[in-house]
Amino acid sequence: MSETVLKVEGVTKVYTLGKRNVHALSNLNLQVKKGEFVAIMGPSGSGKTTLLNILGCIDKPTSGKVILDNVGVADLPEAELYKIRRNKIGFVFQSFNLLPYLNARENVELPMENNGKSKNERQSKAKELLAMVGLSGREEHRPQRLSAGEQQRVAIARALANDPAIILADEPTGNLDNKNKQEIVKLLANLNLTQGTTIILVTHDGQVASRTERILFLSDGKITREKNGLHLANKLMCPNCGNKLPTTEAKCPNCGSISNIKEPSNSLFEEEVAED
Amino acid sequence: MGVLSRAYRNISRRKIRALLVILALSFSMSILISIPAGITANQTATQNLTVNLSETIARTEASINQALTQIECSLTPSFEGFGFSPPPSGNFQRPENIADNFMPGQFGGGRVPGQFGGGPFGGRGNVAMNETLYTDIKSISGVAAVVPILEVSQGENQTIEMFGRSFTRMVPNYIIEGIPLTSLVDSYPILPTNITAGRNLQPGDSGVVLLSENNTRFFNAGVGDKIEILGQTFEVVGVYGSTGVSDVMTLYMNLTDAQTVTNNVGYITSLLVFTNDSSSVSDVAAALNSLHPELNVVTAQQRLDQLNDMRERYTAELQNAQTTLSQTQATALQEIVVVVAATSLIVLFVMLYTVRERTKEIGTLKAIGFSNRNILSQFVLEGIMLSAVAGVVGIAIGTIAAPFISSILIPTVNPIGNVVLRVGTGITPAVNVVTVDPQLMLMTFGASILLGMLGSLYPAWRASKIRPAEAMRYE
Ligand SMILES: Nc1ncnc2c1ncn2[C@@H]1O[C@H](COP(=O)(O)OP(=O)(O)OP(=O)(O)O)[C@@H](O)[C@H]1O
Ligand SMILES: [Mg+2]
Repeated sequence: MSETVLKVEGVTKVYTLGKRNVHALSNLNLQVKKGEFVAIMGPSGSGKTTLLNILGCIDKPTSGKVILDNVGVADLPEAELYKIRRNKIGFVFQSFNLLPYLNARENVELPMENNGKSKNERQSKAKELLAMVGLSGREEHRPQRLSAGEQQRVAIARALANDPAIILADEPTGNLDNKNKQEIVKLLANLNLTQGTTIILVTHDGQVASRTERILFLSDGKITREKNGLHLANKLMCPNCGNKLPTTEAKCPNCGSISNIKEPSNSLFEEEVAED
Repeated sequence: MGVLSRAYRNISRRKIRALLVILALSFSMSILISIPAGITANQTATQNLTVNLSETIARTEASINQALTQIECSLTPSFEGFGFSPPPSGNFQRPENIADNFMPGQFGGGRVPGQFGGGPFGGRGNVAMNETLYTDIKSISGVAAVVPILEVSQGENQTIEMFGRSFTRMVPNYIIEGIPLTSLVDSYPILPTNITAGRNLQPGDSGVVLLSENNTRFFNAGVGDKIEILGQTFEVVGVYGSTGVSDVMTLYMNLTDAQTVTNNVGYITSLLVFTNDSSSVSDVAAALNSLHPELNVVTAQQRLDQLNDMRERYTAELQNAQTTLSQTQATALQEIVVVVAATSLIVLFVMLYTVRERTKEIGTLKAIGFSNRNILSQFVLEGIMLSAVAGVVGIAIGTIAAPFISSILIPTVNPIGNVVLRVGTGITPAVNVVTVDPQLMLMTFGASILLGMLGSLYPAWRASKIRPAEAMRYE
């Protein structure tokens, strides 16, 4: 098995609303390996956002452990947490959350601002990321001049700015029309395949979830069911040990054998997009 | 894209709001710069007044000490017999050349033709005295010398516009002082001593004048020049310096010249009597009083007493001015406290509003790795930027409008932005214009930064404490 990037052990989150206690998460366990593309589904109020916020270190569990990239983050003080958020996590939001008074490049540069990078390094990295999400030439445009899909691409580029261990996306397609939804999912899947980015996304949309490789069903604060997604077919298998290869890496992290590298077909997405 | 340009962009994003806030803040900043400017003017005026006062007192004291053996005699102008009443009795003869309706002893009387002013309102009456009537004074025992003096003012009536009204008053151009230029001037302090150009008058001089600095400007003449006085030409032999803060308009010439040129031959306006020593002054004064009861006899002692009275009165008024100053300072301090509070409250509420409005943005920034301190400094900086811009505008307004603004807020500043302080008539009033100096500008700018920081600290702290999970949930 490849390296575990995220381990959630017995996480419980209780909100107190007046005299009533809301158990948003109860004794939840979860492991995500490096390079996995995971979807979390579940009915409204099942605790998806709560879980994602805890994984993203912007909320703390009532009890339990969260180990992110080998660091236990559940008990870290705020003075440490913001560095984890900056360096290990990339957030993608449902409503994009771009700063309206900054252009695309400046929005992407934001997470790098306090990271000791020079202005030039920040700028070229931001341009590189924007090119990766297909927005070359739109660097100096402000969000209001970009379409919803384009704005979410900028947000994804921003999430990638500090090469995080994991991308957390809460309903990233929730505000998008069908065509843009497909393109964003395709973009995320491609990032996962070509860059090996670990992605966890929360969605209500079964179609979107099916494009990932592993679908978790959340209900009443627990993972009740788990299912493979279509994306698994795009992943390479180690011809030697049968292990799923996280990236286009030439070497299997499990058995160390050299694999036959082939480009993923992505036919799946082309079909879907064409359907509309 | 630094925190600074982000702050700038955020402010310029809502232009109308920024404009209104900056306007309100610059208004209070212009008040903030005007109050100290007004107070400084008041302080300086009080200081100057103190200096003027002590100079005048010192000068008078010195001249009295110098003339301790001196007795001054003149006719008292009388208030009796308003109008055309006959002259009071006494061994007094009116000069032939005085018009009938200007009889001595009348209100405003004692005017010699060619002479203005004087009369009952002046210090010395300038009432014409027949020289020959007082030759007996010399024979009083203890008298060392008698110096007859003729003093005649020359001027013109002027109409002055002031606050929309017009006043007519006599403005003297110069005052002729006729002194007998005999050996007396060498032995007694009659002539000015501080000669600044040329020479002093000497025994035997005639057809020459000693001018004050004020006179040189009026006649536009200096040492060696010829000037015309009442149709007669005189040569300027010297100039004496002003003894105090006020301009001295007296020019000195030979008594005979003065009598001729002013058409007062045989007449004088006062007599200076010098005694052998200061101990005999009171005896001589008493003898003078019984010999010539119509004379107003003033000894140096009396003048010293008068001076002490004056000093007491002026000191009281000066204390008054200082009390007013400290009251004004207290008022100003209260006003400053109000303005400071108002300024920081404006910043506080504007920034609180901004923070509330941008909760989602703050949550996002924190979620993508901004520290509490990053957020705090972002908002403090925005507050400072707002108030610093307002500071610059306020300083610009204040530099122009400080006189006006401080006249509204500081009771001692008049509507044209002056602080005018006076004690009595003899002392030059202290006039100070409200001005804004570079140091005050710098301090006000510093204050604007400080107030921006003060006002935005709490909102920025609130911003830094925003929990991203909650900020996203309730967007
Ligand atoms: N701050 C809070 N205070 C009190 N209760 C909360 C709070 N945040 C979430 N909850 C409750 O916790 C439960 C889980 O909420 P959560 O937002 O995680 O659900 P979700 O699965 O994301 O729902 P949705 O699909 O509608 O986004 C809900 O019952 C919700 O009302
Ligand atoms: Mg949710």
